[in-house]
Amino acid sequence: MPHVVRFVENTITFPYVRSLGPVTGAFMTALTDKRILGIRNGDAVLCPPMEWDPATGAELPHDLVEVGPAGTVESWTWVPEPTLQHPLDHPFAFAFIRLDGASTPLLYAVDAGSPDAMSEGMRVAPRWKGERIGHLTDIVAFVPGEEPEVDGEDLGPASEPVELMDYLASITYRNPVPPTSDLVVEASREHRLVGFLCPECGKTYIGGRGVCPIDSLEFGAEHAIDLPHTGTLTNHVVITPVPYPGQTETEPFGRVFIALDGSDATLGYQPIVDMSVDDIRVGMRMKAVWAPADEAVEDGGGMGGAYGALIGWTPSGEPDVDDPDLVNRIF
Amino acid sequence: MAISDDIAVVGWAQTPMVRHTDLSEVQLLLRVITDAIEPLGLTRADIDFTCLGSCDYITGQAFSFVGNLDAIGAWPPKRDSHVEMDGAWALYEAWLRLQEGDIDIAVVTGSGRSSTGDPALIYPMEMDPYFLAPIGADPVTFAALQARAAIKAGIADERAMAEVAVRARGKGEVDELLKGDYVREPLRRHDLPPITDGAAAMVLARGDRARELVERPAYITGFDHRTECHNPSFRALDDSPSTRIAAEAAGLGKAPVELAELQAAFTHEELLLRSVLGLSDEVKVNPSGGALKENPIMASGLCRIGYAADHIFGGGNRALAHSTSGPCLQQNLICILEGRS
Repeated sequence: MPHVVRFVENTITFPYVRSLGPVTGAFMTALTDKRILGIRNGDAVLCPPMEWDPATGAELPHDLVEVGPAGTVESWTWVPEPTLQHPLDHPFAFAFIRLDGASTPLLYAVDAGSPDAMSEGMRVAPRWKGERIGHLTDIVAFVPGEEPEVDGEDLGPASEPVELMDYLASITYRNPVPPTSDLVVEASREHRLVGFLCPECGKTYIGGRGVCPIDSLEFGAEHAIDLPHTGTLTNHVVITPVPYPGQTETEPFGRVFIALDGSDATLGYQPIVDMSVDDIRVGMRMKAVWAPADEAVEDGGGMGGAYGALIGWTPSGEPDVDDPDLVNRIF
Repeated sequence: MAISDDIAVVGWAQTPMVRHTDLSEVQLLLRVITDAIEPLGLTRADIDFTCLGSCDYITGQAFSFVGNLDAIGAWPPKRDSHVEMDGAWALYEAWLRLQEGDIDIAVVTGSGRSSTGDPALIYPMEMDPYFLAPIGADPVTFAALQARAAIKAGIADERAMAEVAVRARGKGEVDELLKGDYVREPLRRHDLPPITDGAAAMVLARGDRARELVERPAYITGFDHRTECHNPSFRALDDSPSTRIAAEAAGLGKAPVELAELQAAFTHEELLLRSVLGLSDEVKVNPSGGALKENPIMASGLCRIGYAADHIFGGGNRALAHSTSGPCLQQNLICILEGRS
């Protein structure tokens, strides 16, 4: 039966905190006070304000001036189906709005209800959030007319200058799982350690890697070989966790590298089982530890670590190997 | 240093261009590099320099280009580089590298799996982080605003845009297309590029080595790229000065071209670029169908250079290829290819 490629979905969030600098910072701070700032560039006033002349790159003096808050739509397009990142969750217009006193247009949402309500030259004014934090989205949207509005209770300006802003994007990706990864995870359920033997260079690769990087040869089931479950510890690292989002480890933990017996393959970044990090030594003889056959297993494999039913490695009890070159074998 | 005009495209290949592939980016690259070098009798060991163009945001994996190295056989260690740009910019870097004169053969790629995520959510992350990314300013919105500017300037109109779409895709009927709803007024579905997974690889060779490999190399006689301000608020959207300057620098004005492959993902972009480049009606524009037919992000521009090279391989004398990056044609690259008798 031909292999049906499996896809995995993962969502990556990008939680950036950005420094605003003197010009954008002043702009964001003014937003909390329901004021919009531009910056002088010769006779022109740039809004959005820039630290540099967009044409020449010359640094501009920090000569900020208030513009708007009302302005004129110079161009627009209608968004019938907003994305999660858009400022409004119902259909709206994205418009280039030249705020009164500015020479350049600001791109922003206009909450006009219908494309029929949009036109070049129409006048719009901001609808402010009641609670403003010094972020572009302190403006909910622009609305037709001359008069700014505030949504809900006006909680007033920020007490301190705004110097940082949060930016959070979240993107869901769907990627194919290489068939070789599926093959090794599947084999692990039967407590088999499977690698791929390159017919060109004769090297063995483990962990479901689908390609010989030396010969650029794609592996398939025909290259799969069974590998021994024993090996020698070649190198190791003990990691003391520092706090990070999504942390699960709290105590120092070990990751070891295992050169498999009778093979040029080294399994990297493997967990240790039933041993203390203090007992890890280069040259130790180790054996694989498997999850019970009927236990559900994670695919795993991140950072080249253990995968599937392979939980980790534990001392086999055999005498250590004395070979000063072992530490060089981490791949 | 005088710029050498003795560096040529000697071959290229592209993967099947599909809406959705089961293959990983490494697999796409493995196959397409092999397809590019094998007909020339080359192996990976013959390649002196590689430069790959790809984008981590599209792949959804930091440093994804490191994994892509599996496709080039980088052992013993090779001269290698990467650009977070279309493969056309990778070609520019390889061309510059060959100018040094100490190596003869370079391979460049462009690769992307656009079906991996939602382009409308990915691309705003590449925009201005203070004023554009926070409002999810998406590529179709920007294209619509530029289309409106081009229409206002008399460079495009909705009918001419539909005609571009019909010609590019070889299907559809203009009056029917114009009855469709707007995706972003004034753009309808047919004005937008498809979402395409795919990759391309190209082989560059220098001097006698190029002439040994193929009968009629496509010599690069002009190559330049220029950029404009990142924020479209500060640009005249009915113009593309970076395209014009790059074309001048690449020597477009020195002699007529027979063919132009323009990376116009949206219909109005083709009309605008044609106008800015001053291409006469004699010039065949995008006979490949262009990015409106197949739009493998990060490879779309490299494919334009590939099709222009095909024109030279087939006996043509002079062709232009264009690539672009960023919102509203922010950054533009022009490559002039010539044959020699």
